[in-house]
Amino acid sequence: MTNASAETERDSTRSVPVGTEPSGAAPRAVIARAGLIWTLIRTDFKVRYHGTLGGFVWALLKPLTMFVILMSVFSFLFASNPDYKLNLIIGLFLWDFFAEGTKSGLVALDAKGFLLTKTRLPSWILVVTSVSNALITLGVFTVIILVFLAFAGHPPTWHAVALFVAYDAALVLIVVGFSLASSVLFLRYRDLNQLWDMVVQAGFFVAPIIYPLNILPERFHFYLFLWPPTPVIEFSRSALVRGVTPTATAHACLAGVVTICLVVGTIVFRRLGPRAAEYL
Amino acid sequence: MSVIEIDVVSKAFRIPAVRRETVREHIFGLLEPRRFQRLQVLDRVTFAVERGEALGIMGRNGCGKSTLLKTICGIYRPDSGRVYARAPITPILELGVGWNPELDAIDNVCLIGSVMGLPLRDIWKRMDRILAFAELERFANLKLKHYSSGMSSRLGYAVAFEAVRDTLVLDEILAVGDAGFKERCVARYRELRAAGHTMLLVSHDPHLIAAFCDRVLLLDDGRIVMEGAAGKVADRYLSMLTHAGTPQLQ
Repeated sequence: MTNASAETERDSTRSVPVGTEPSGAAPRAVIARAGLIWTLIRTDFKVRYHGTLGGFVWALLKPLTMFVILMSVFSFLFASNPDYKLNLIIGLFLWDFFAEGTKSGLVALDAKGFLLTKTRLPSWILVVTSVSNALITLGVFTVIILVFLAFAGHPPTWHAVALFVAYDAALVLIVVGFSLASSVLFLRYRDLNQLWDMVVQAGFFVAPIIYPLNILPERFHFYLFLWPPTPVIEFSRSALVRGVTPTATAHACLAGVVTICLVVGTIVFRRLGPRAAEYL
Repeated sequence: MSVIEIDVVSKAFRIPAVRRETVREHIFGLLEPRRFQRLQVLDRVTFAVERGEALGIMGRNGCGKSTLLKTICGIYRPDSGRVYARAPITPILELGVGWNPELDAIDNVCLIGSVMGLPLRDIWKRMDRILAFAELERFANLKLKHYSSGMSSRLGYAVAFEAVRDTLVLDEILAVGDAGFKERCVARYRELRAAGHTMLLVSHDPHLIAAFCDRVLLLDDGRIVMEGAAGKVADRYLSMLTHAGTPQLQ
């Protein structure tokens, strides 16, 4: 006997009692779920960029333009730092993913309310796939960053690339954890997106994106590293630009931040998610 | 064994006297006591649906029909009691299946079809049939925001009739479309019944319920006040509508 009330987050095929499924039902269910994930990613991309490559290029142009403007202005201010433009492009592109991913994740359930109120589906899929567009952009940015570094005379080693991909993955998990919690909270607190816009605006200056971290007194560094994008950006710069692998302790701290984001996000989502449809 | 079993299910909504929907409203209202009104929508509802059965649910507006369907479909969680669903449920609630207005009909069919559990390959195989059923082949590439409510409802029924795997939940069947579409719906409904699918229907139309259901529940104030053959329950429902008095529990 399967309890549907306790299975709100599961696929309806689970409610078929064991032993009664036709042969091959389980693999078909997995394929169906994969189809749902792919369709959500594809349709999100289509809605956001009007189904054209041109639309996607516009999305890339925003941080690229920002990079050109900031580099033009601040490279004079930090002329003594020969790696400034490399640090800037890494910081900006990672930040763009964080900002876009969290903003999309926060409104994920509300934006897909048309599905949640009409049918039963695992709502976590809606949240995770909402980050997909920002993730595609991050993938393109990762390639741009690596090419830019190579052309700037800093061709990254395979070790550095592997570390950078790991930091990208850590940032993705941080964004997913945040999105899980914020998407259900947004249904109860409808101005959370405006508050988050303010936090993101301030956070852009808290993370050392346009300024080198060492211009601030060292006693403040700890507080800056509490802001999740900071360790990801700084560790990526360390591996790619300076060729220095952060210490095991630093990696443990980053893993701790990722774990906290995911655990808190999952707890909040599991607690509030099952009643999400009632707030739509 | 029952396909769906509703076991003493209750559901209430807490309606605040003043809604607070933002962080700002919560902060400014921190010192003001909040008053809530409790709206009992479902009150210890118990029934079961057997495999292959067509069960109708009738009741006046606001009696809890939609909440009951959403609870059965797993969209709402009951406050107490249990809902046992032993087969996949395909719902059409409030005349729709949940469209993205910014997508065209083809993408929406892919989205809803995959939400309902159809593999993408099957959806593409059935795409022409779905569009033909809804008579929307010419508008397949038109965004849903440009569809009339009737067109989008027709598409919803067409997808659900194709995607149904075991149990079909229909809120107000045949409330949309012209005579031709209704005929196709009736024919498809009978096909699904003949194939052994379980049906759960909600309607205000006693004739329709009598024609399509084996057994009917009458819901009032969140409680089942009558259960039985379609004709008798439909008569009782009509007398409820004409006599304002509260029905007695049976």
